[in-house]
Amino acid sequence: MGARVLFVCGVVAALAVSSAGARPVVTPGVSANEIKLGSSVPLSGEAAIAGNVARGIEAYFKYVNDKGGVFGRKLTFTYLDDGYDPGRAVNNTIRLIQQEQVLAVFSSLGTSNNLAVRKLLNDAKVPQLYVSSGATTFGRDYKKYPWTIGYIPPYSEEGELYARYVVKNIKQPKIAVLYQNDDYGRDLLGGLKRGLGSKTKSIVASVGYDPTSADVQPQVTQLKASKANVLMVFAFGKFSLQAFNAVSRLGWKPQIFVNDVSSASALMAIVPQNAANGSISIVFGKDPASPLWRNDKGIKLFQSILKKYGSSINARDLKDGYFTAGMATAYTMVDTLKKAGRNPTRQSVMNAATHLNEKGNPFVLPGIVLHTTPSSRFPLTQVRLQRWSGNAWHPFGKLISAKP
Amino acid sequence: MFLGAFTWTEFAQQLAAGIREGAIYAGLALAIVIIYRSTRVINFAQGEMATFTTFIAWSLMNHGLSFWTAFPIVLAIAFAGGVAIERVVIRPVENAPVLTIVIITLGLALLLNGLMSVIWGGANRQFNGPFSTRTIDLGSVPISVQDIGIVAVSVGLVVLLALFFRFTKLGLALRAAAVNPESSRLVGIRVGWMLALGWGIAAVLGAVAGMMIAPVVFLDPNMMQTILLYAFAAAVLGGLDSPIGAVVGGILLGVTITLLGRYVGFIGSTLKLPAALLLILVLLLVRPGGLFGRVAVRRV
Amino acid sequence: MRARLLLELAGFALLTLIVAALPRFVSDFRARELAIVGMYFIALLGLSILTGYSGQISLGHGAFMAIGGYTTAVLSVDGVYGHQIRDLWTIPIAGVIAGIAGLLVGVPALRLSGLYLALITFGIAVSFPQLPKKFDHFLGGTTGKILNLAKPPFGLHTTTNNWIYYLTWGIALVLLLAAWWLVRGKTGRALKAIRDSEVAAASSGISLARYKTLAFGISAFYAGVAGSLYAIANAYVNPDVFPIILSVYLVVGLAVGGLDSLVGLIAGAGLIYFLQNHADTVARWLNHLPALNLDPKQPGIPSMIFGAVLIVVMLLLPTGAGGLVRRLFGPLTSRLYTRS
Repeated sequence: MGARVLFVCGVVAALAVSSAGARPVVTPGVSANEIKLGSSVPLSGEAAIAGNVARGIEAYFKYVNDKGGVFGRKLTFTYLDDGYDPGRAVNNTIRLIQQEQVLAVFSSLGTSNNLAVRKLLNDAKVPQLYVSSGATTFGRDYKKYPWTIGYIPPYSEEGELYARYVVKNIKQPKIAVLYQNDDYGRDLLGGLKRGLGSKTKSIVASVGYDPTSADVQPQVTQLKASKANVLMVFAFGKFSLQAFNAVSRLGWKPQIFVNDVSSASALMAIVPQNAANGSISIVFGKDPASPLWRNDKGIKLFQSILKKYGSSINARDLKDGYFTAGMATAYTMVDTLKKAGRNPTRQSVMNAATHLNEKGNPFVLPGIVLHTTPSSRFPLTQVRLQRWSGNAWHPFGKLISAKP
Repeated sequence: MFLGAFTWTEFAQQLAAGIREGAIYAGLALAIVIIYRSTRVINFAQGEMATFTTFIAWSLMNHGLSFWTAFPIVLAIAFAGGVAIERVVIRPVENAPVLTIVIITLGLALLLNGLMSVIWGGANRQFNGPFSTRTIDLGSVPISVQDIGIVAVSVGLVVLLALFFRFTKLGLALRAAAVNPESSRLVGIRVGWMLALGWGIAAVLGAVAGMMIAPVVFLDPNMMQTILLYAFAAAVLGGLDSPIGAVVGGILLGVTITLLGRYVGFIGSTLKLPAALLLILVLLLVRPGGLFGRVAVRRV
Repeated sequence: MRARLLLELAGFALLTLIVAALPRFVSDFRARELAIVGMYFIALLGLSILTGYSGQISLGHGAFMAIGGYTTAVLSVDGVYGHQIRDLWTIPIAGVIAGIAGLLVGVPALRLSGLYLALITFGIAVSFPQLPKKFDHFLGGTTGKILNLAKPPFGLHTTTNNWIYYLTWGIALVLLLAAWWLVRGKTGRALKAIRDSEVAAASSGISLARYKTLAFGISAFYAGVAGSLYAIANAYVNPDVFPIILSVYLVVGLAVGGLDSLVGLIAGAGLIYFLQNHADTVARWLNHLPALNLDPKQPGIPSMIFGAVLIVVMLLLPTGAGGLVRRLFGPLTSRLYTRS
């Protein structure tokens, strides 16, 4: 018995020695002085502006490189334009794995675009890190897709938070919901319903709009007819602006909740006639356009990095939240690489990403801890509520959890 | 999907929203029709040209000009720009297949769109139009002054155009050059410049449409992209060569889409555009030139 | 006439050789890129039969590609009564279903002329993406359908990219030959007659309805095959995989290739792939020009480059690459004509 164990141990040791001796383990994307990461984002087409996330990441990595990189290796970040077309995102991702030979695909943008490549990346065992989408599936379905992890709070949880607030603070709520009629809008709506629980009936009207619509006024008109006193705006960009506009034109005065994605200060500030006053949303990142952070160290750091290391940067970019969002993710990525050890492999990077305990990310709200475990893959799940008044968001209450 | 109870008040509001939306399509459809009339081309860059001039207006107003001071400057710039585009990129390929010219207008659309992103960035911007956003109550239906203004401008433009084409020498020359360039040349009309003039007028119409629409849908480089699709549909519905058709087509389309989307549960917001296009197709089968247009009849 | 035939056959043989040998000289990923060019080429072949030969402009061929792609996705993911069909065998089915859709569109198209038809087909391109959203239980909505990754069949030892390359270009060559045979024969002559004068064609006994509808069906078949291959190559379909702009890009490829130059279309297909995916390379070239410093990573710049290149190409080659070839070699071929 003892002899056999000894024998097995001997063989294992011999194997280990021989494989180590034969050639050093080569990890794609890692060389003596470089770590390669890649991403697919829109730089053209309708969603081109969101590509600034990747430009923010690039600037932050250059800053880190200037300070010596990660364990002496420089970070190289290749981001390719997909025009927000999942087909092109697949092509880009294959190019990143096969041609650019990246260590990991990181912060690619859009729900469909990430869904399209999830199987591909998992089959190839390439980490799909910190997906730029709040679709719940990226953090939830890790059993099937162990190489994938999300980043921002899941949309469904956001919906649940609003539900909890309504139940607690509004008497006899009658809720009307305007939602984008796709995965994104329905994720939010689903969360809202779950959060209301037994009070789901307080949703008196929900109307979807299609992103090919010119204006959402007809939908808002329909919602107003339901005589609701609460309006949930689960929309995107200009559609939420149009919703506020329509609410004010119809002379309707509900308590409005607007989801995080469409609540950027720059957007809210141009809603006419103070129609946005009193609206409630959640917040987790620092918005460079908000007067709240004008003298904040993190935002000052953000702006100095962008000015020094960004390419083709102009004044308006310094107030663009997409760049800040990119830097927040880049900060976490650097953290992850440091955790992954001196000789990172795809496995060790994935391991680091699922054992995060990051405090003090300068680009998110003070006090937020980004925490993950192999079975809880939602890095950013602490948020605060905020209320819009006097042309600025004002956070209120403590950090609350948006962990599923 | 939630349909809710039917009330006449809401119906009236939906109708008003539909008319307003239709007037928005009509503005751009008018510009499309003018270019089709003068050069027999559909201009894919019409939307981006309109957005571009609206951004110029925005910049001027951002530098302290009032809307009405900026307005004539923008129209002049739009006119010059339209003429210049025709001279520089359309003229050299006048005699090429129509597809070649269509592709050039498409290239122009991409170029202008990219240029706007680079100059002004991709964020949404507020554009203060000439009309107040105050609402007045008609019966129990609140309607904003802005909406009434948009509809009035569309109708006013058509009347102006009709007068121009019918009673001015230039308007007549423009029509003649489009219908029969050879004979027009013989009677001394400078056909080439007439075509350029057509582009100039279309650019001006686009600029007006852009400045009317921007306060409602908010200004960004892609502002006109969806609207251009609807404007194409409106122009086809009304007849590609009829300005009155463009406006009637636009408003009909706006009302149809809004009411279909609201009251036909199966169609909803997802299928309202395909449903409207199907209706247009059926209409075209009966009247191949649209409601007001003419197509040379040829039976074989 | 015979000399011309021999010339064309020799050209085809040369093309086949190039296609067969090319993967040896390029990287594995480049083979994938060339495969996608091949898919555009197949769709353009169909479009050329429709627009170049029958004179009907379609701005909606992206929708037929989508029909092909969705057919493959549904058959290979959900299958028929639970029997999943191997992706390879769904390709002809995808073509046929798209072809039937094309025939259906071809009937009302008979009543429409010129740009009215162009805009109505554009309406199809705009409308199609809404269908998977509406019928999401069947077609997957915006979530889309995830296919199995393509693998070389029959135990072939090659990479996925090479397999997709050979599959695509094998089909492309067969379909090129078929298109060539078609446009040279009776159908082609009938279509050309219709394009040049409907009245004259009708009075010489050509059935307009039959040939014009047929042209729509055939061209949609080609687009369906292309869409099916595209779905296999990406292993994913959703409405955004076949965006409205795809239909427009196809017409761009057609105009660049030359309306009725079957081989010229390869240039058109190459250009639409290259401009979409390699704006950074074009920017590097352009930056050699004085006073130009384009940053291809700045949002907006890729669109600007695409648009500017398109305008310049069309100004220089108003009749496309095919027209250029005709102008260069025109005298030669006509000399050959007279000799035979």
